[in-house]
Amino acid sequence: MYQFNFQPVLANLDLLIHGAWLTVKLSLMAMMLGLIVSVLGAVAKTSGIRPLRWVADIYVEVIRNTPFLVQIFFIFFGLPAAGISLSPNVAALVALVVNVGAYGTEIIRTGIESIPRGQVEAGRALGLSPVQIFRYVIMVPALRNIYPSLTSQFIYLMLTSSVVSVISANDLAAAGADLSARTFANFEIYLVLTIMYFLLALGFSTLFAGIRRIFFSYPASR
Amino acid sequence: MKLNRRTFAVLAAGALAMGMGLSASAADLETIKRAGAIRIGMLVDFPPFGVQDVSGKPDGYDADVAKALGEFLGVQAQIVPVTGPNRIPYLLSGQVDVLVASLGITAERAEKVSFSKPYAGISIAIYGDSGLEVKDAAGLAGQSVAVARASTQDTGVTEVAPQGTDIRRFDDDASAVQALMSGQVKLIGLSNVVFSQLTGVAGDRFDKKFDLSSQVQGIAVAPGSDALLEQINAFVEQAKSDGTLDQIHEKWLGEPLPDFVKNAQ
Repeated sequence: MYQFNFQPVLANLDLLIHGAWLTVKLSLMAMMLGLIVSVLGAVAKTSGIRPLRWVADIYVEVIRNTPFLVQIFFIFFGLPAAGISLSPNVAALVALVVNVGAYGTEIIRTGIESIPRGQVEAGRALGLSPVQIFRYVIMVPALRNIYPSLTSQFIYLMLTSSVVSVISANDLAAAGADLSARTFANFEIYLVLTIMYFLLALGFSTLFAGIRRIFFSYPASR
Repeated sequence: MKLNRRTFAVLAAGALAMGMGLSASAADLETIKRAGAIRIGMLVDFPPFGVQDVSGKPDGYDADVAKALGEFLGVQAQIVPVTGPNRIPYLLSGQVDVLVASLGITAERAEKVSFSKPYAGISIAIYGDSGLEVKDAAGLAGQSVAVARASTQDTGVTEVAPQGTDIRRFDDDASAVQALMSGQVKLIGLSNVVFSQLTGVAGDRFDKKFDLSSQVQGIAVAPGSDALLEQINAFVEQAKSDGTLDQIHEKWLGEPLPDFVKNAQ
């Protein structure tokens, strides 16, 4: 019978919490920057300008058709050869942004394409400026339509960030691995990690639900 | 088939060792000389000490030492492949006369077998950019050091590193070496075996800064083989002083026999 011993976990809880904090920071920043990349990518993909579309197409296809592990290795171990040397945590952030940006681009593109042409023409008929049309007639309804898929992609991003320990970034998964290497209480540690990741994901879901209520609800239901 | 034979060999070795007692199978120098051959057990799955060459013959540091030992005794060296767990039963049951099998000298093993003077060793050390000036553990402060997570290096570095050392833990030696080569870290905790492979790729870009820990290996005989052990010790002494071991070490590990092996008693 396996004897559970949570003493090593409790004694080093501060290490795990420190790791979890980095995971939260890393994920939040990657989500925000990733959203910007996604919107730019989606605009490029739906724009009439051919070269811009090609660049966005290549970016999306390359990232979506290669493993995240390879991407993060390339950024951390490969870029120094080109003179760009990033610290593990920064390299992890860049890799996550690049990765989530590609998936987000496709998600937001489908949102934009779900807006009927007539709606844009209606906006023009009302005398809205192109910026106003882009913001109120295209982006907000588009984001409202794809909000669930975008946010689940973001949750997935947070879970994917557990891979960044391979380049020695010190996130939650790395803190757990270090701790289990020292105490050999692997099962207890991974059980606690599972719970912590679950709580983090739950927290992000709640946050996204709140953002949806504030920014993407229909005016009528406010 | 192979597995069966090996399983049988282990069982037989165990039974023999138990039945005959420890000293019953002591190797006799006269018998070896008369037979004109010495049976030498070595590992073939422990590069670069014990490997198999392309034709499946045992090769590596231990194989070269075994051949040199045969020459020294004036008899033919018959190499018998053994495995880590069964090497001592092989010796104690008399299936081999001597082990040149990267057997680390420990007090526990010395109760079962007789060790010669050390002929090889594995050390763990801090290596890094040749230009970097780091002489001891205190010099690690403010530096980044890559190690494989939970390895002996990890334990060693973590133990001696002063405050302000940036220890970067990777999943394995390969990733840690990659971090060193791409310039992401300036230092690395590594065994001399892996480092010798690294020098094969990176030349003299990196050098050793200071040792963390070491383990010496000895040639082993069954207890009671005193005449043979005396000859083996004479061989090790001569091979150390005439440069034979330096040459073999240079061939397989890229540097002469390290001082911690030469000076160990």
